[in-house]
Amino acid sequence: MTAKARPDPLIHPITRLSICGLLAAGADWVEFAALRDAAGISDSVLSKQSRVLEDAGYVEVRKGAIGRRPRTWFRLTAEGRQAVQGHLAWLAQLEEAFSASTRDARQARPLPGDRDQPRRVLPPLLGST
Amino acid sequence: MRDAATDPSALERLRVQRGRLADRLRPRWWYLAGIAFLWALVFAAPFGSRYLPRGVSPFPLILAIALPVACLLYWGQARATGIKMGFRNLSYRPGRPAGIAMLVVSIAANGTETSLIRRDLLAAAIVVAVLAVAAEVAAQQALLRAIRQDLRAGGGTA
Repeated sequence: MTAKARPDPLIHPITRLSICGLLAAGADWVEFAALRDAAGISDSVLSKQSRVLEDAGYVEVRKGAIGRRPRTWFRLTAEGRQAVQGHLAWLAQLEEAFSASTRDARQARPLPGDRDQPRRVLPPLLGST
Repeated sequence: MRDAATDPSALERLRVQRGRLADRLRPRWWYLAGIAFLWALVFAAPFGSRYLPRGVSPFPLILAIALPVACLLYWGQARATGIKMGFRNLSYRPGRPAGIAMLVVSIAANGTETSLIRRDLLAAAIVVAVLAVAAEVAAQQALLRAIRQDLRAGGGTA
């Protein structure tokens, strides 16, 4: 990965992270229904969040129609792709750091009920809730 | 709104969502049938060169049929799956083995067919063409499998 690991407050909310992460997966354009189903969100949420991303210049939207049915296609802009790559790299680092700290803690003091998965708690970020 | 730091399974969730997106890219029967038809046109070229009147090239006719069919297949696949993958050439690393296999099969089969037709072994040439079409469809499926795998892995972002 070439992008610098860096959090992006715009992508950080989980719905926007899903949208951007899916658009960055490798497809050129992704249709509204496909994105909605893959992300597991509602039409209204996707509309709202995609507009935020479009206004920020992260997502390009192309509207068309097949017969009477409107079709909306999304794709990441170059700027959006860079931001997503940086944010995902940062999240991966966070996950790695968390795994390492859990491992260290376990090695230092194994607990009786240690077979259970520990509750994963990461530090709050960017003042978001 | 929830964010990825308060929900540490965000990356795992994203992997699942990518898997869902990749699953949409499974080829429909008509797509594979269309691909088989396109390759059948390609492997019909040596027969055309041999049996069409002198001076008549089969290639413009093949191109005139193949181009609209290819566009229709691309459009249909994008409409059915909701994903446009764009054109992938050999520089696309995950699809390179399948792409090279397609190239090798098409060159080898065309050469073999031409040679067999020159020796009037028409039945053998037809068998080679049929086998080549089957191999190309299998390679196309392998290419789609590689693209699905790449989508699941997140392309260059994982």
